[in-house]
Amino acid sequence: MGIPTVTITTTEFDGLAKDTAMSEGVPDAPFVVVPHPMGMISEAEITKKADSAFAEIVKTATEWKSSAKLPEMKPAYPAERMTLKDEPNSFFFAKGWSIGLPIVPPTPDRVKEMLKGTSLAPDYVIGKVPPRMGALTIELAAAHAVMAGCKPEYMPVLIAAARAMLDPRANWRGATTTTGTTSLLVIVNGPIVRQIGLASSQGAAGAEHHANAAIGYALNLIADIVGGSKPPSPDKSTLGSPGDFVPWIFGENEDRLPEGWEPFHVKRGFKKTDSVVTVMAIYPPVENIDHWSVTPEEHLTWWGHLATPLVSIGGPCWISQMDQIHLVGIGPEHAKLVADAGWTAEQYGKAFWEKARLPFSVWPKGCPNVDLLSKKLGPLNPDTPVPITFSPDHIQTLIAGGAGKHSHYFAPFPSCFPVSVKVEK
Amino acid sequence: MKTKGCLIITGALLIFMGLLTLAERSFAEGTTPASPASQGFPSFEVLNPEGVVQIEPTVKLNGHPSSLEGKTIMLRWNGKHNGDRFLNRIGELLVKEVKGVKIIKSWEVAPETVEPITGSQERSMELMKKLAAYKPDLVIGSQAD
Repeated sequence: MGIPTVTITTTEFDGLAKDTAMSEGVPDAPFVVVPHPMGMISEAEITKKADSAFAEIVKTATEWKSSAKLPEMKPAYPAERMTLKDEPNSFFFAKGWSIGLPIVPPTPDRVKEMLKGTSLAPDYVIGKVPPRMGALTIELAAAHAVMAGCKPEYMPVLIAAARAMLDPRANWRGATTTTGTTSLLVIVNGPIVRQIGLASSQGAAGAEHHANAAIGYALNLIADIVGGSKPPSPDKSTLGSPGDFVPWIFGENEDRLPEGWEPFHVKRGFKKTDSVVTVMAIYPPVENIDHWSVTPEEHLTWWGHLATPLVSIGGPCWISQMDQIHLVGIGPEHAKLVADAGWTAEQYGKAFWEKARLPFSVWPKGCPNVDLLSKKLGPLNPDTPVPITFSPDHIQTLIAGGAGKHSHYFAPFPSCFPVSVKVEK
Repeated sequence: MKTKGCLIITGALLIFMGLLTLAERSFAEGTTPASPASQGFPSFEVLNPEGVVQIEPTVKLNGHPSSLEGKTIMLRWNGKHNGDRFLNRIGELLVKEVKGVKIIKSWEVAPETVEPITGSQERSMELMKKLAAYKPDLVIGSQAD
């Protein structure tokens, strides 16, 4: 557009800002760095910071000259081979090639065996993994699958999940560098679930399920090692979570879909016989523990109340969240309760949307999008109920887990949308 | 036979305890016990799992003006807390210090561009085009946090 810029960042985010500019192909973007923080301090303090930075801003605005260069591009295939002379786990961890859990060394023979799980050529580039922009070839995906203990038959799911994660709509760059506690949610539908033994019922997203654990681990290895997203920068997560080791990954429990309810992937435009992986970056889920309701109305009233902590991530603070898709993993017993009363999944979603609201007064006064919210919802007073999204159509449901009286609400990271990719062998 | 068995077990225990003591001592001295490599760890070939970095140049940045006098400067706030206050102050100082400077505040003229996380280059470009329509000579943006 031909317009020069100066971007203000803070000492805590200087590295991320420069890495991001580099990986977006603008290695020499002009920055001025001020002492952290800028947010949550008084007006007097922020004014003082502006006064101190003013001379540097003017200098950068008028004297900046282009200097940095992009790294030289090398072929992505074949991956470098090297001779390992030491204990593999210590070596890989010291090199930054593992995330702290044990790995299986990716020897050429093991990688070759893993490649038998896909018909795609080893030199095919699935995509570039942000923020580092490491080129992810099929060969490299197989190497990570070996490291994570995958079986060859898991490869099609791993590849589909990686493709979905690298779709721009998934906003993986944002999700993996945010200060928030985000992780990947990976939902698998269709015949592949049974074929590879992916757990889809009791404790499906937890431990003791080999396919779930190995595919999830491989995905996070790819994100951290090929994508280079490691704390303290460029992964800026304030606390992080176990989701940084293995994401939330499970099959939809299609066996427990109430009569007339469609599987998640069918609602997203696929055939029932298709195998599909859907990926979305999420905040830690909210759990609905309801052992007591005997009507859908009772159940959804309680659920709406429980979900409200995550309603607050939208509203006037992150208004774009209100146009995003939010997912509810309904426990089979909760689904049965509402379906037996004649409700459809859409009715469930609409009721959840109607109940999960917070009064406008709870948001901090510093939220930036009050005017825009008012344009959408009308005049705002302290008691105005602010919904989770602008439309009930933004609430999508699936059947998640096995026996028990628990459902889960998965709120998306800002600007992250679920991306579904058909599994191809 | 029984006595012989006891002797073997006792001997094995003593050797094991000796090894433990050696290991503890080497840890205490800040060194690790003999590394697997030096114990004849078999060498073998592995793939480097990092992959190569491939970054395409997207845009060539324009040169900056040698002076801000008489220029139109857009202050761009992304919605993060205090970014607007910081930029307001920079705007005040620019007007005070630089002759003929004109300030435009993005959040006043185009509030729909106040978006902390755009999620994609495409979305960022959409917002930037809205701001470029005001034809600023320079944009000063605040990222926070």
